[in-house]
Amino acid sequence: MTTVMATSTQKTAIETIDLTVSYGGKPALKGVSVAFPENAVTALIGPSGCGKSTLLRALNRMNDRIPDAETRGKVILNGQDIYDRRMNLTRLRREVGMVFQKPNPFPMSIFENVALGPRLHYGLRGRALQEVVEDALRKAALWDEVKDDLHKSGLALSGGQQQRLCIARMLAVQPRILLMDEPCSALDPISTQKIEELIIELGKRYTVIVVTHNLQQAARISHYTGFLMYGEVIEWGETAELFARPKRPETEDYIRGRFG
Amino acid sequence: MMELTRAEGTPAIDWESLAARQDARRARKNALLTGVFGAVGLATVLLVFALVAIIAYKGAGTISWEFLTQPPREGMSAGGVGPMILGSLLLMLGAFVMATPLGVFGGVCLAEYGERSRLMRLMHASVAALAGTPPIVYGLFGLAIFVLKFQFGVSLLAGWCTLTLFCVPAIVLTTEAALKTVPAALIDGGLALGLSRWQTLWRIALPYALPGILTGIILSLGRAVGEATPVLFTASVYYTTAEMTLGWDTLRQPVANLPYYLAEGYRQPGVVPERLIWGACLTLIALTLLLNAGAILIRSRMRRRYL
Repeated sequence: MTTVMATSTQKTAIETIDLTVSYGGKPALKGVSVAFPENAVTALIGPSGCGKSTLLRALNRMNDRIPDAETRGKVILNGQDIYDRRMNLTRLRREVGMVFQKPNPFPMSIFENVALGPRLHYGLRGRALQEVVEDALRKAALWDEVKDDLHKSGLALSGGQQQRLCIARMLAVQPRILLMDEPCSALDPISTQKIEELIIELGKRYTVIVVTHNLQQAARISHYTGFLMYGEVIEWGETAELFARPKRPETEDYIRGRFG
Repeated sequence: MMELTRAEGTPAIDWESLAARQDARRARKNALLTGVFGAVGLATVLLVFALVAIIAYKGAGTISWEFLTQPPREGMSAGGVGPMILGSLLLMLGAFVMATPLGVFGGVCLAEYGERSRLMRLMHASVAALAGTPPIVYGLFGLAIFVLKFQFGVSLLAGWCTLTLFCVPAIVLTTEAALKTVPAALIDGGLALGLSRWQTLWRIALPYALPGILTGIILSLGRAVGEATPVLFTASVYYTTAEMTLGWDTLRQPVANLPYYLAEGYRQPGVVPERLIWGACLTLIALTLLLNAGAILIRSRMRRRYL
């Protein structure tokens, strides 16, 4: 099977090779080989149950959490297969951060939420830690709203702010790849817009991979789009191209809203 | 008001009167159940209040600084229950220090490994059975093992060990239950951040579950402090006129304590005057209520902080 590449000029940040993930013997992802270009936003779209979240969660091995999940194939990061027995999960997840569908701030202060990662991963303390926290909150476009309330509970924030706090928490660990699993689906339109702007901004400096069920969102925020169905990649390419001139009839049906 | 017409083809049945009949039935049933539950609930609350009120009424006259601090005098017929209170507090303190780590680690172990391993499921069932075992069984076990086998004698040390055994199952179960209330999304968040399993447990799950765990510890101690039978054969002495002295020797000596004083004092009418018994009874119930109040306070304080 040949790897689907968005463009030949772009450097690859992370790629999958013949990746199959099954839950209790039922395959959710069937031999997927794709490469995610560096410092760009890639959107994963497709109908419910198509395997897009499974693919995302395979990239930082969060599928390990599911008891009957079984993974075959490879995911190559820095020339190394992350499913290799010698792979250290802490190191993997330091490189590959993730935010979830529903904001999940820890029940601690805003500062502590962001500080926890750098403190445990790099042993930062004091002034240096404060600077990292501020930097992460600024990059998550949250600093101005919370700078006077850093000691307040992360759960006291609004849903959209909570999600940006989770993004800041992820950024503070200094990852290079950001995974986002429908990051706006639990948010109101204004919060959604803020997160979308943030994703576009982050895409300049990070490799961002976003699962979304919102096609307009995929079109607005991503450089590349992968369309999945029945656990397989149907079409993969530059977002503008894929939406304007889909090559496969399934893609066309889906983006024209004939099913999904 | 204009009646809405029903969709064409709706069966010709008198829907309104049928619905009215069902509504009336439902209303009757609701009223009945509300009445029953309300009455039973109220009765329960009143019963508890009555219990406390009667003990408070009978015992309040006895309570004084002297009663709470002085040892009994004149062959137990006068004086106070100072050594009994001190003994009960000592027993509880030791049980707290020993049972807390054991119980919390046990609960963590069950919560972390409980679902997948058959051994752990068996252990959970055993602990649950132990938590329901009558306290007298712990008393006899403590007598056989700590007092006789380990030759601790009837002593504070043997009492600590026995009460620890008595408290651990309840603490294990409440810790396990509290850890199971931690949302999976928080654990996912910790793991996705690159925290190890133990870091996630220590930094995220345990703090989240802490109010529940502390409540469990305090409640089990409250139960232990009021039980006479675990310490009956292992740690208790009845006839104390001496003031207690604290030192290393104390460990190997029996201690007076409130529940045992109550049980023995009541069995020997005419020796201990009734007013002293009521006073001790009120002291004991106040102690347990205080512990419960403390548990509630801790829980609400912690919950308010970040939740």
